[in-house]
This record gives sequence, C-alpha cells and structure tokens, in this order.
Amino acid sequence: MNVLVIEDEKGLADELEIFLNNYNYICEVCFNGASASEKIAVNLYDFILIDLGLPDYDGLDLLREAKKNNPEAICIILTARAEVYDRIKGLDLGADDYLPKPFSLLELQSRMQAITRRKFGLKQNLVDLGGFVINLTDRVISYGTSEISTITRKEFDLIAYMLLHKNRTLTRSQLSEHIWGSIVNDDYDSNYIDAHIKNIRKKLNAFAPPDWLETVRGLGYKIKVNT
Amino acid sequence: MKLRTKLTLFNTLSKLVIATIFVLLLPTLIKNINQHYNDSRLLKQKAKLLQIIKTQGIKDYAEASYYTPLKEDYVSIDLDTTAENLDTIKNEKRILQGDTIEYRILSHTFKADNKKYLLEIATSLDAINGTTRPFQNIAFALLVGMILLTIIADQLYSNFVLTPLGQIIKTKLIGHKFPNFGSYEKVQTSTSDFEYLDISIHKMIKTIENTFQKEREFISNASHELMTPISILQSKIENVFEQEDIADELKTRLLEMQRILNRLKSITKTLLLISQIENEQFLKEDSVPLRELLQEIYDEISIRLQGKNIHYSVDVPENLVLIHVNKFLMFNMVFNLINNAIKYNRENGEIKVAAMRESDCWTVKIIDTGIGIAAEDLPFIFNRFKKLRASLKQDSFGLGLPIVQSIAAFHEIRVEVQSEKDHGSVFKLILPDSLIKI
Repeated sequence: MNVLVIEDEKGLADELEIFLNNYNYICEVCFNGASASEKIAVNLYDFILIDLGLPDYDGLDLLREAKKNNPEAICIILTARAEVYDRIKGLDLGADDYLPKPFSLLELQSRMQAITRRKFGLKQNLVDLGGFVINLTDRVISYGTSEISTITRKEFDLIAYMLLHKNRTLTRSQLSEHIWGSIVNDDYDSNYIDAHIKNIRKKLNAFAPPDWLETVRGLGYKIKVNT
Repeated sequence: MKLRTKLTLFNTLSKLVIATIFVLLLPTLIKNINQHYNDSRLLKQKAKLLQIIKTQGIKDYAEASYYTPLKEDYVSIDLDTTAENLDTIKNEKRILQGDTIEYRILSHTFKADNKKYLLEIATSLDAINGTTRPFQNIAFALLVGMILLTIIADQLYSNFVLTPLGQIIKTKLIGHKFPNFGSYEKVQTSTSDFEYLDISIHKMIKTIENTFQKEREFISNASHELMTPISILQSKIENVFEQEDIADELKTRLLEMQRILNRLKSITKTLLLISQIENEQFLKEDSVPLRELLQEIYDEISIRLQGKNIHYSVDVPENLVLIHVNKFLMFNMVFNLINNAIKYNRENGEIKVAAMRESDCWTVKIIDTGIGIAAEDLPFIFNRFKKLRASLKQDSFGLGLPIVQSIAAFHEIRVEVQSEKDHGSVFKLILPDSLIKI
C-alpha cells in the first residue's frame, strides 16, 4: 500500500517512514505543502498522512486537494495544533481520522488498519489462537462453541491491540495509551495494565491456558502467533 | 449599608433634630418677640402721650383712666405721692371694675405743673398672647414645609450625583465573572472622583485580563511547541524498541525513557487541555444521561476499584440528563474526581456517587472514605502542580483537580469540598438548572 507522509518535521517524518516501511507500506515523504500538492496531483495513494501545521501551506487546503485528486485515499490528519475547530473542520472536509501529536506509531498503524477494515468491509475477521477464536468484527472471543462473555470491552481492546501488533512486545505505556489515551488525568505511571492482563488470563484459563499471551519480563506483553 | 441609604438617613435625621430643637424653642422665642414688640409699642405710646400733655397741658388728662369695654388695654394718669421715680415695664395684676386681669404695664412718673404724676399704659397679657399661638402655628408649618422641601431636594440631588457610582458598581463589579470582564463602556459622569474610579477600575481589569491572556497564550503555545519534539522522541524510541537486534538490557532502559516521556506528555497534554478549556474552544452541545456517563467511567475505572477492593455505589435518578454540556469534558471531570477518590482511599474503602436536589439546585456528590484533606491544605487543592503532603506517595503531578476546576468553571458548575482528615472527603458539584433535564 502506498502512503504519502506530509510532515515538515524531518525527525518525525523519518521515523514515520522507517516505521511504515517496517510494516510493509511503500512510503513517500514530503517536507512542505508545495511538493505535497504536486505529488497529490500526479500520484495515487492509499493513505495520505497530513500534518496541518505546514510552513508554506494551510493543511486544510491540502486536504481539499487530496480529496479532489485522490478521492479513494484514506486521509489522516496529524497535528500538534489540537484546536477543536481544526478537528471538526478536518473531519468535515473528509478526513478519515485525526491523530493529535504526540501519538504512538503503533496507534497510527492500528487506526490505519481499522479504517481499512471499515472502508473495505472486511467481513469475519477471525483469528484462531490455540483454540480461542477472536472475532475482531463482532468483538467477541469464544472457545469451542461457547462465547466468553466475561471479557470486558477494555479487555477485548487490549487483546485486539496486541493481536494487531502480534509477535511484537508492547510496553505498558503503549497499551495504556491505547486504552486510556483519550482520558486526561494526572496519573503517569500505573500498573493497571498488569491487573487487566491478570484478569484476562484468569477468565481465559477457565477454558484453556492462554499460552499465546506472553509476559515479556521487564518489558511488557505480546501475543505470539506461529506463522 | 449603601452609600445612598446612609446619606438619606443622615439627611433626614439631621433635619429632624434641627426641627425638634426649633419646635422646642419656638414658644419662648415667639413669646419674647411678641413681648419685645409690645414693649416698644408701649414706649411709643408713652412718647406720644407725653408729647400731647406737653402741648395741651395736663389738666384735661389728670386723674383719668381710659379703657375699652373689653379691658384689653388701658391708660391712666394719676397723681403720684410716692417719692420714687418709676420708669419700668412689668407684668402686674390690676383690678378693673371687679375683674382681676394681668397686664403688661409701662409705668412712668413725670412732672407737670409742679405735680408728680404716674402714667400707666397697659395691654392685657391675654391680648398679647392671643397673637402668639397663630404666630407659632405659622412658623411651625413653614418650618415643616421647608424641611420637607430640603429633604426632597437633598434626596434628588444625591440620587443624581450617586447614579454614576451605582452604574460603576453594577456594570463593572457585580456580575462579572473573573477573569471574563467583557468590553469597557465609559460611565457618564461629571464628578471627577467617579471618573477617576471608573478609569482606574478599567485599567486594573485590563491589566488582569492582559496578564491572564498572556499566561493562557504562553501555556497554549508552550504546550503546542512541546508536542512536536515529544512526538519525534516518542517515535524514535518506539522504532528503536522494535529493532530485533537490541539487547534486553537496552530495551529496559528504552522503556524507562518511554515512561519518562509519557509523564512529560501527560503534563503537556493536561496543560494544553486546561488552556483550551479556558480559551473556550469546546462546544457545549451534548446531552448525556448522568447514569450513562457514570457507567462509562465505571467501565474505565473498575480495574482500579478492584485493585483496592473498594465498594462503589451510584445513587442517581435514572431520568437525570445533563444537557448543554461537553461530554468529553464532563467525562474527564467526573473521571478525575472518582479516580482521586480511589487513589486516596484505603483498602476495602467505599465510594458513593449521589445526585440529589439540594436547596434549589441539583448536586452530584462524590463521597469517599479516604485519607481526607487537612483543613490547612483545603484552600490549595485546586492550585496547579500543588502537591499536598498526603499525595506525595501517589504517581501524580498535581493537575487532576485543576482539570476538574477548569471544566466545572467552563460549565458554570460550582465545586465544594468538605473533608475530614483520615475520614474521607466529599466533592460536591453544584449544577445550574440550565444543565439539567429531568
């Protein structure tokens, strides 16, 4: 899939490129609005990531151009200017999502996947993990014929996020940011992720030991899938 | 007491005192005036009589008394055999045809034709006093009229003069919510003191507003500017973390960096949120049933309740709906209050959220059985970055309650705190009726 990254901060643009390449996206980077505008007019992209705060261009204008020339592209706004007005305006102009800086790269990737799924209507997204069947579309987890209803929404979010980034260690910070990112509070270091994982393990253990959910000592957690 | 009331009271009282003194003095005063006038009349009559006797001789008048049938006054000229000379005006009684009547009598001895005569000119006291009462009445009526007139005039004038002051108080001081003062309108006045007051208040408000605005702008700009470098750092750490050839020991240190960065990120995000709220960048167009909001918060927070085995209960009417609010902000406000109630609670403690109608307002109380807040700390709990001794153990940076306060102020919700050390706290949100539908 082709991604156009429009980001004037070279440091961030580079990291985005490295990360997206890692996840097998084909990535092009623009550091200013003018060159982005040219690229949008000529090439077709699956994703356009736009930073609103460009030095030479109003990011929202760029969004308009992108929607005109690349109507199929998924546009995600990345911005440090977390003004509410920009957000509404951006979404009104057809942006598919809005990610305020600073964001986690994993979060960006999960948003990209979620939009793809929504847009192309991938049905029955089922994953089998040692007998547990995780249905990402209906957001249920079942073992054999029985649905495990004790798993809460938060717990499912955690499982789905780890599954999306399977075989990668996710740190507690990354997991916290995913499930509590929108809440503004003054805790900066909490071990609630551990409590959640403990609960998940307990609930799944009633059916079978969830060996695929691994603790990476001192680092975090990961879901291991043999490919 | 208002200045205007004070002035009116003083005006009225001082005039009443003056009037009373005058009324008390009036009888003596009038009596004296009357007597004085009468005496000078008697003296004039005496001069006239002596003149007549001098020109016409004594014999026609000697040994004679003249009086009217009503006996109000009389004139008599008699031979005087006493040795002393008289020239007095006195009150004395005389018996005239069997009637004892008190007179004001001028007595004067004079010589004519080598004989000594005594002249008496008299006016009865009744006749003199007869004029005293009407005089008194007229004077009293005049006095009352004049005093009423001056009271009214004083009142009207002080009202007129004080109107600008009332306007200054009404438009500049009352009903202005700090720090939003609105625009400046000059108060029309010709009194230089009020003009000075008005301008000074305006200048002070402007200074405060500017300082506030600058602080807001600074926080907003600073947090925005911090976001980009934090974002770059975070991405770099994440990318390095993902590299497979990195030793676990290095990963642990990357994790440390990530945690510290997270802390920085949280602080920056929170400051930015507060400044956005203060700059009124949020819409208040959501409606949300309070119960639903509390359920959503419970879903997020139940893991924390579990951690301390806290008993949590909600007592909220099912049909209570918050209207004209920003749901995201309301969520964060209540979340922070409940989160605090958990953080500062004891193991196996209790948290109760209750909504009720209390003295004409809807209130939402968050009641905990936690460590409480010392009375001397209470005034500071809403200060940014203020960490009380009791909270030092917690992983927080002292912005939880400032968020609550900003969001509450944005929605015109009042926050009251009651707390007893070692027993728990009650955070009470007092909601204006405009936010409630039931």
